[in-house]
Amino acid sequence: MSRAIQVRVSESVVRTVHVEDGVQTPLELLPVLAPERMADLLATELEAQGFARDAQNPNLAKRTDPDGIEITVDLATATVSVKLGASTKLDENVSLEARVAEEGRAGTEAHLRDAAMGELDKRIAAKTEALRREVTAKLERKLGDLRSELDQAIGRTTVAALTERAQQLGEIQDLVTDEAGNVTIKVKV
Amino acid sequence: MTDEVELELVEDVDIDEVPLVAQSESELIMMARALVQPRAHDTWAYLASAHKMPDTIGPSCEALLEDALSRIWPALWRRDGARPRASVIGNAVVRGRPWQRYAPAPLVFTRATLELLRWLVGMPLATGGDVPELEARPLAIGDEVAIYLALDLATDLPPQLVIARQPMVRKSALAWLGFAHLMAGDAPDFTPIVTGVGAIVVDALGGELADRWRGAELHKRQLENPDELLAVGRAQSAALEKFMAACDAAHRRDLASFVLDAARPLLERNLAPVAQLLDPGKPLSTRSQARLAAGALLRGVQTWSHWDDQHRGVRFIDDDYDVAQILLGRFEPIGRPLTDRAAQMLSELASLIPTPSTTIEAP
Repeated sequence: MSRAIQVRVSESVVRTVHVEDGVQTPLELLPVLAPERMADLLATELEAQGFARDAQNPNLAKRTDPDGIEITVDLATATVSVKLGASTKLDENVSLEARVAEEGRAGTEAHLRDAAMGELDKRIAAKTEALRREVTAKLERKLGDLRSELDQAIGRTTVAALTERAQQLGEIQDLVTDEAGNVTIKVKV
Repeated sequence: MTDEVELELVEDVDIDEVPLVAQSESELIMMARALVQPRAHDTWAYLASAHKMPDTIGPSCEALLEDALSRIWPALWRRDGARPRASVIGNAVVRGRPWQRYAPAPLVFTRATLELLRWLVGMPLATGGDVPELEARPLAIGDEVAIYLALDLATDLPPQLVIARQPMVRKSALAWLGFAHLMAGDAPDFTPIVTGVGAIVVDALGGELADRWRGAELHKRQLENPDELLAVGRAQSAALEKFMAACDAAHRRDLASFVLDAARPLLERNLAPVAQLLDPGKPLSTRSQARLAAGALLRGVQTWSHWDDQHRGVRFIDDDYDVAQILLGRFEPIGRPLTDRAAQMLSELASLIPTPSTTIEAP
């Protein structure tokens, strides 16, 4: 006659997970001057907004905001990349138990251990996904402000480029900017 | 009580001359006939049933298969209404109906077509589930047409996806051109279908290709899962970019006219190729990439716009003036306003904060 025993299995996992989300999009920069000069003018505008040229690759202007969002503008290709990452340490424990006949102990223990590992994987995946969604939501909230900030920088870069182009054509007699941001430049050639 | 039936002899048939084939061979022949004339057959019954196929076919079956496949040219012409139009052949403009524009050219079929027919008859495709693969092998233009027709036969049915994911099908440039939205992986070389007999096939299918691409664009507007949209967009981009580059290299830009015919009604109604809202639970990076990829057809319009600029520069005294005039005429209905609209749509697709697209209307 076999005895009934209780098998209890505990598994735990400590894992550091890192999630990241981001977008990359082209900037609509009109080719008023040569690409290198347009890049310089854009860099000047971006530096006024807290961007710094990358020491190793001067074609990149970068800024990291207090909320951790990294903004990188590639001046050569006129593209902007916005990225946010987050890391966290996850500590999960699972305990499972079952009553079985003594002779079935080994099989049950292995089965419970597999089930516990599966449950741990599921919990880690769910928490990682929750963290990723948090990162995505934070990034999305930021994009509206960032777009308007970049649009303004592009606008000022275009005006600077047009002014420089006008100076190349002749003598600027008048430069008027209306409330809508439209610029009129009168040039004596 | 007896029923009296009057029989009228319409044809004198010599029983000895009727070719006899095995049941399995009969299924093979009926499948070939269904490819050529899908409306005349019960498509679903053919694709849903599965028959054990013997290793070889008899000479009668071979002759009947040849007969069925020999009717593909008229079937292709009928698909586009056999419209009279102009084609650019050998850097010259040739006008007329398809058989007037091109010299007669046979479609070459290889063992691949027989393998395809055997697979279609032998596999239970009704559920769209897993079936043994149809292995890739070198394709002649006739094989490509047979694959295209098989995909067409299964339109809107679960077997279409099963057929589209077969290695042999994914090696077919014509299948990619007609059904890019179902494809995955690397697009094949499109040169075989923009030169020689392949070009005649694509020319004959122009109207149908435009309808297919327009339908795929409307379908994309219903995809809310960005992963799905990304897969479709990437396949479409790969197909269209390679096809248009091949057309350009072969001096057959006219073959890409379907891009304009597909895009024009959508641009006129300002219909962007994405849903109003992609699943907000998915990563922003995936949604952003999916939106960019979805603009394949719009990028095709931009390529046409660059070509159009080149055509405008061709002078009356230049050799290819007539060709340029034909191509200018093809682009004219799109013109600058719709090109600008396509550029605007692409800009919105790439925007950091996408603006909602307009509501879908019936095509």
